Amino acid sequence: MLRRILAWTAAVIAGVVLGLCSAWAVLKFGGSSFTEHYGHWVFSRAAGSTGADPYTRAIIAREGLLALSAREAVYFSLYTDEHDRPLSESCVYELNGRPLDARWWSVTLYADDNYLARNTDSAHSIDATRAGNDAAWVARISPVRGDATNWLSSREARRGFVIMLRVYNPQRDFHPSEAALPVLTTVSCAGDTP
Amino acid sequence: MKWGQYVLGALIIAAIVHFAAIIAVPRVLMNVAMQRFGEDGDNVWHLAERITVASQKIVRSSPDFAYSACVYDLSNGPVVIAAAPWDEYWSLSLYGDNTDNFFVIDDREAHHGAEITLIKRGTPHPDGASMIVESPSTRGIALMRRLAPTASTYSAAADVAREDVCAAVVQPTN
Repeated sequence: MLRRILAWTAAVIAGVVLGLCSAWAVLKFGGSSFTEHYGHWVFSRAAGSTGADPYTRAIIAREGLLALSAREAVYFSLYTDEHDRPLSESCVYELNGRPLDARWWSVTLYADDNYLARNTDSAHSIDATRAGNDAAWVARISPVRGDATNWLSSREARRGFVIMLRVYNPQRDFHPSEAALPVLTTVSCAGDTP
Repeated sequence: MKWGQYVLGALIIAAIVHFAAIIAVPRVLMNVAMQRFGEDGDNVWHLAERITVASQKIVRSSPDFAYSACVYDLSNGPVVIAAAPWDEYWSLSLYGDNTDNFFVIDDREAHHGAEITLIKRGTPHPDGASMIVESPSTRGIALMRRLAPTASTYSAAADVAREDVCAAVVQPTN
């Protein structure tokens, strides 16, 4: 009798642990199953949607709580560089963008916990009101500004970071594509051989 | 065979816990957000400080917006929500307790501001309300975004935000 009780207790504990771990794994790694890719940009049209399935809803709640529906705004995230390496504070990047068929856009840098990187540079984002939306623009992503006109500070983004592109009031002509979205290029990384 | 029943039991429990966790995550995170935004109570706007490293309360807040949030509670009847107009982009969005963005209106549709009466889905519509919106949940979050990417525009947006209204409709007494 005691063996049965112990066996069932172990089964319940194992079941709970397995259930929680599998849910965590889905939330941590399952985002790619519900998204579209444009180059290295990751996009989920389901953000904020009332039609989102429970998995999509849970993943988006963790990564982008209170997102707007796609009618109002669309969100793109960039986690890796052109060589599929995670974005790193030890590298300098250049982001080249072109006008978007939208009313307003912004690019914001978040640390890997999805909060603003804990620096005091006040350079967490650039947007259309500063960079313009009628001509090509370029921004530097690096720990120090240097001579950059548009700068996103990656200082104190210690464990890697994500770049988020917000596109508000997209026009009917706005169709996400690799060609339309900003292009990230790695300029240099600490430790690279010259 | 004996061990089979324990393995099967563990797998069934794992599946139940897995789906329960997936369903619960958005609601738990929304509850956390409602607690943070609802420090001043329900049915009242909370104007967020300009988004900085120190002031950010939820993931991926944009430092380019002046945010105001109102945790609405429809358990005692409808809530009136009014948004004062702003020269740049602004929007009023409503979220149910499962994170769904079930309503949004912006300055293209309501250039001179907006006023809505929010009711719980399935309850009678109040008389005289111009724009009625049905909420799928009793509680949720109303969020105002005003484009204000600089300190000076944030300050101006904050002044405008103080004119916003989020208040329970006073029920007539019999």
